Amino acid sequence: MKLPPNVSQADFTAALQAFAGIVGDQWVFTSDEDLELYRDSYSILWGEADERTASAAVAPDNADQVVELVKVANRYRIPIYPISTGKNLGYGGAAPALAGSVVFDLKRMNRIVEIDERHGYVVVEPGVSYFDLYNHIQEKGLKLWIDVPSPGWGSVLGNALDGGVGVTLAPYRNHFEAQCGIEVVLPNGRMMRTGMGALPGARTWQQFKPGFGPRIDGLFKQSNYGVVTKMGFWLMPPPENFATGVVTVPKFRDIIPLVDIIGRLEQSKIVQGLWMLSSPTTGTPGFAAHEAGPSKPQDPRILAILNDPDGVDMDKLEAAARSTGLPFWACDLNFYGPAKLIKAQWDCVRDALAEIPGARFKLNKVRRLPLPPQELANTRDLGPFGIPTLRTFDLGPMFSYEGADVVGHIFFSPVIPRTGEAAIEAMDVFAAIARKYKLPCPPLQFPSSLFERAFLFAVGLPVTRSATVNAKLRDIIRELVAISAERGWGEYRTAPAFYDLIMGVYSYNDHALREFLETIKDAVDPNGIMSPGRYAIWPRHLRDAKV
Amino acid sequence: MVTRRTAVGAGLAFASLAGAAGFDACRAPERGSREARSIDALLIDETIEIPRQLAASVRAGRREAAVVGVRLDAAAQAGLARLLDKSQAIAGISSGATLFCLERMAWDHGFRLTARSQWSVGDAHGHACPQDVAAFLDGAQRLAANPAPLVRAYRPSRSDGTLHAWFMQKSARRRLGQGRWEV
Repeated sequence: MKLPPNVSQADFTAALQAFAGIVGDQWVFTSDEDLELYRDSYSILWGEADERTASAAVAPDNADQVVELVKVANRYRIPIYPISTGKNLGYGGAAPALAGSVVFDLKRMNRIVEIDERHGYVVVEPGVSYFDLYNHIQEKGLKLWIDVPSPGWGSVLGNALDGGVGVTLAPYRNHFEAQCGIEVVLPNGRMMRTGMGALPGARTWQQFKPGFGPRIDGLFKQSNYGVVTKMGFWLMPPPENFATGVVTVPKFRDIIPLVDIIGRLEQSKIVQGLWMLSSPTTGTPGFAAHEAGPSKPQDPRILAILNDPDGVDMDKLEAAARSTGLPFWACDLNFYGPAKLIKAQWDCVRDALAEIPGARFKLNKVRRLPLPPQELANTRDLGPFGIPTLRTFDLGPMFSYEGADVVGHIFFSPVIPRTGEAAIEAMDVFAAIARKYKLPCPPLQFPSSLFERAFLFAVGLPVTRSATVNAKLRDIIRELVAISAERGWGEYRTAPAFYDLIMGVYSYNDHALREFLETIKDAVDPNGIMSPGRYAIWPRHLRDAKV
Repeated sequence: MVTRRTAVGAGLAFASLAGAAGFDACRAPERGSREARSIDALLIDETIEIPRQLAASVRAGRREAAVVGVRLDAAAQAGLARLLDKSQAIAGISSGATLFCLERMAWDHGFRLTARSQWSVGDAHGHACPQDVAAFLDGAQRLAANPAPLVRAYRPSRSDGTLHAWFMQKSARRRLGQGRWEV
C-alpha cells in the first residue's frame, strides 16, 4: 500500500479505519484496481516517478461527513485532495497535486439543493454534473438555461472552482464569476458560508454576491483553503431566439480595427454572445486549438505559403488571398434574445464595423429556440445552446506525435491583451514553436474571446504514454511559459505538473502573491492537510522540505 | 496477405479464435447458455459509420442481448446510467473516443474494461471482420475480470479510422454512480 508522505503505516491504517467509520467500509478505496481510476488519464507524467497518484480514496455522502473526515485527516496529518467528478481532463483529472494524498471523491454528493426559476439561480453539491443539471431543468420544465463547458460531464461546482468557462452570454461564461455563495469545510473541520450565507436564515444568499465585509469567495478558486460542499450559481432565462452574424474583412491587419470595434461593442454590452475568429484564406476554423492536423485552404498557392518551413510570410499570404478573392478574416458573432433585439444588435455591429474598407456582413437566419430535435442532432456544437455533450471528443489531435500514440492533450493557456496587435504577435510566436517542434496543430491558430476583456490563446499539446516524448513536451511547455512571461502573458489555468512553473512567473515584487497565499495557507491549514501543492500553494512543512 | 487488423492485450487470444470458431460465433447464442446470459447489452456507437454488414451480423448474433445505440449526449445520459446500473456485463463496438467516455462513466458503476480488440474501418468492410468481431465478443465473455494493462491502452480518437470491439464486466465494489439524489 502506498503511504502519504511523512505518515507512518500505523497512522495511515488508523486514519483509514476512522474514515471508514464515518462513511462506511464500502466507500474507502485502497486497492490498486480502484486507485487506478484516480490517475489522470491525460497525465504528462504517466508512469514516471513523479506521477501524482493517490494512496487511497474516500467517498463521503454529505457535508457533515466531510467535516468529520477533515478532522480525522488533521488528527493523523493525512494530505487530502477533494475532487468533484474528476473529469477535469487536461488540467489534472482525478489525480492529486501531491502524490500519496487521499482523494476525497465527492461524486456521491450530487444533490441539486435548490433551484429557483423566479430569481434564476441554483445551489448544487460537488457531484452534480452539467448533464445532471441540464436534465433536471428539462424534466421539471423550468425556464432556465445553463452555460456549459466542453465537455459537459464535469461538475458544475468543480469547473467553476478550477476557473472553467463556457460559450453562451458573457455574464455567465466565466463560471466562477457566475457563482453566488459558497459553503465550505475549512481545513480545521469548521463549516463556513460566504456572502449573505453567513447570516443564519439568509433569504438572499444567492441574490447578493458582495455580502458584508471582504468578499472572500475568490480564495476558494484554484486554491486549497477548504472543501467546497455547496455553491450557488446564477442561471439565465432561456433566450427566445439565436442567430449568428458573420463579418468578413479582407486584409490580415484588419484584425486590429476588427478587435477594437468589437471590444467597444462588448464593453457597451451590445455584443454579449461569444464571437469567434476564423480565416477563409488559411482554412483555419474557430477554436483551432482543438483541431487536429493542418488547415484546409482551398487554394494550393495558399497551402504552399502556410507550409513554408521558414514560417508563414503574411505579406505573401495576403497577396495570395487577394488573388483568390477570399477575405482573410471571418468573425462569427452569436446573438440571443427577442428577434427585434438581435436585429438591433446586428444593426449596431454593421454600423460600427462598416468603417473597415471591404467589410461584408451577413446575418444568418434567426432561429427560434429551443431548436427542434432533428436540428439539434445535426448541430455539432451544442454549447452555444446551453446543452452539455461529449461531442468535444470528436476533436483533439489524437493521432501520433514523435512516433507515439497521442492519448490526450494538455492546454497551454496564456491570456493575452484583447488587441489585434497582440493576436498577431501571439500567432507569430506560437506558430514558430509549433514549427520548431512539428506540433500537430495548424500553422496558424487564433485567440478566442471567451473572457470579456482579454483573449485566451489556448494551444493544445498532445500527451502520449511515452516518457521520452512526454519529457520533450514538458520542455516545450517550459519554453512556451518563458517566452510568454517575457511578453507579459500569463496562463489562467494549468495541469498539476506545471503549477509551480506557472506560479513562478507570477513573481511581481519577489513573489509577493505567492508569499501572501502561503501566509493564508499557514494560518488556515497549519497542518498542511488540504490539497497540498494545488496551484502551487504549499504548506510550510512541504515548503521547508523543498528548500 | 498482411491484415491490418490488430488485437490488443486480452483481445489477442480471442482474435486467434476467429478462424476456428468464426462461423459458430456468428450464430445466435443458445437460449439459456452461459454466454447468452452474460451480456446484458450490446452498445453500438451511433456517432460513427459502422459497416452495415458488420452491424447487421453482430446484431443478429446477439439476439439475447439488448442492442443499444449510443450517443453521449444529455438526452441519453439517464438511460445510459440506468443501463449501467442494471447490467453486469456489456459489450460494444465503437470509436476510441466513445469507448474512452463510456469506460469512465462505467467505472462509477463498478465496470472494468476486460477485453478489447480493434480493426481498421477499411478491413471492417470485408467479409471476415463480422466473424472476427463476433468471435472476439464470444471469447471476451469467458474472460475473467483481470485485464492486461494493454487492454486499456488505446487511442481515444473518433477520426483515426479504427473500430474497437470491447467487453466490460461489473467486478468492482466502487459504485459511485448510483443515481442522483433529489432534495
